[in-house]
Amino acid sequence: MQLMIPHPGHFDALKDIIEVKEAEGLNEVGEVFMGGSPEVMGSGRGVLHAPLIEEIKEQTEYAHQHDLKMDIVMNSTCTGAHHLTFEGYKMFMWYFNELNKAGVDGVIVAEPYLVELLRDFPMKTIVSVLSYVESPQRAKFFEDLGADVITVDTNINRHFKVLEGIVKAVNCEIKLIVNEGCLYRCPFRYSHYNLASHLSSLNQPRFPLFAPDFYFDKCINIRLRDPTQILKSAWIRPEDLKDYEAIGITSFKLSGRTKAVNWIIDCMRFYSQRSFKGNLLDILDCPQMLRDMFYMDTEKLEGAIDHWKNCRKVCGECGYCNELTKEALTIIK
Amino acid sequence: MKEEIGDCRGKLEEELRKLVGNIFVPEAKVFGMVCGCVGFAADLRGLQSDDVDVFKEKINAILIELSKSVGVEPEFIYARKLPGSEEVVTLTVRELCERCKREFAGSKASPRPDIVVLKKRR
Repeated sequence: MQLMIPHPGHFDALKDIIEVKEAEGLNEVGEVFMGGSPEVMGSGRGVLHAPLIEEIKEQTEYAHQHDLKMDIVMNSTCTGAHHLTFEGYKMFMWYFNELNKAGVDGVIVAEPYLVELLRDFPMKTIVSVLSYVESPQRAKFFEDLGADVITVDTNINRHFKVLEGIVKAVNCEIKLIVNEGCLYRCPFRYSHYNLASHLSSLNQPRFPLFAPDFYFDKCINIRLRDPTQILKSAWIRPEDLKDYEAIGITSFKLSGRTKAVNWIIDCMRFYSQRSFKGNLLDILDCPQMLRDMFYMDTEKLEGAIDHWKNCRKVCGECGYCNELTKEALTIIK
Repeated sequence: MKEEIGDCRGKLEEELRKLVGNIFVPEAKVFGMVCGCVGFAADLRGLQSDDVDVFKEKINAILIELSKSVGVEPEFIYARKLPGSEEVVTLTVRELCERCKREFAGSKASPRPDIVVLKKRR
């Protein structure tokens, strides 16, 4: 198993992560990823730090000294077509070249055009979860464009037949995000990431927003009214990683680069050790707020993966998640 | 309490203007979070992280006095920057719950890159 860990971006956080990894022998941790410069491109998460090339180089060298790879996230889902202008093309080529000179190991991108541009560089091209790869056909398209790694759409985390099909269809590495708590088949997903991509870049809306995070607020409200949606989300318990390894997926990524560094370290520890007892919502990124409202007992979820593996996801005819919600999820008083 | 909070806003603005120059404090508030943390926070315009570095001790002293006046123990004091910039947009004094003592204030590093820790009670 290989784990990819979020890095908030400031050097001290990287040092804390590495210190725990080494002190506790968390050898599964092989990579960290952090946001790049918002002046070049936004990303799917808020950018809390804007590292210059020199800082990226310094941090990458430090990571390498500790046997860790460094990846840079540039997974905006909308650049306003800047990448297709001559100026944009030159800027991306310049930035990729600088990242390469800085020793960066991989670049995480969502835009297919950038996947192709990265062919000119020895860095790994890591297709973002925001490329929404949810089928063998789409995986093959991205592999043909130049992907070395594909992070598949979390919507299919529990679609084992499709995952198996993707593994068979391509030769590149397949990666799963394990602790994302987004709504299954979320109707806001594309719009929300487009919004985040703009807000985290210089390509900002021209006027102030009257609802700065409309989609997030809707997401929370939906779960408060229908808590079953929390169980239907695509999270994977640390104990269930083995079920994915059994179908040939051994590369996993933790989400959460906008969270506090000690929270990230906790998640790294639990997933490395493949064990967590307590409220599963404590280790899910996005939306973290739910952990103060609900308690999802991870031990009561034991064995649910066996149902989900073969589930047709026709919820109206099944009702399994409704029943499990009654057993495993309680409201915190 | 209403008067105290209003006074805190005015006093913070006045003191920061004496130290730094033209600072605007549009809003100050006392808050309680679902996790158990309580605190005092002031939104700011005009302050930069260099100012906070230079006047850290004085800013801490002002915030300690103001937070105590509204009943908040100054366990953890921090400035929040506008992400990716040096503009400080909030100063916060927080009395921490057990979880946040470990998760938010327990790391050697600042918890997030947009947060500048000014004081931590060990």
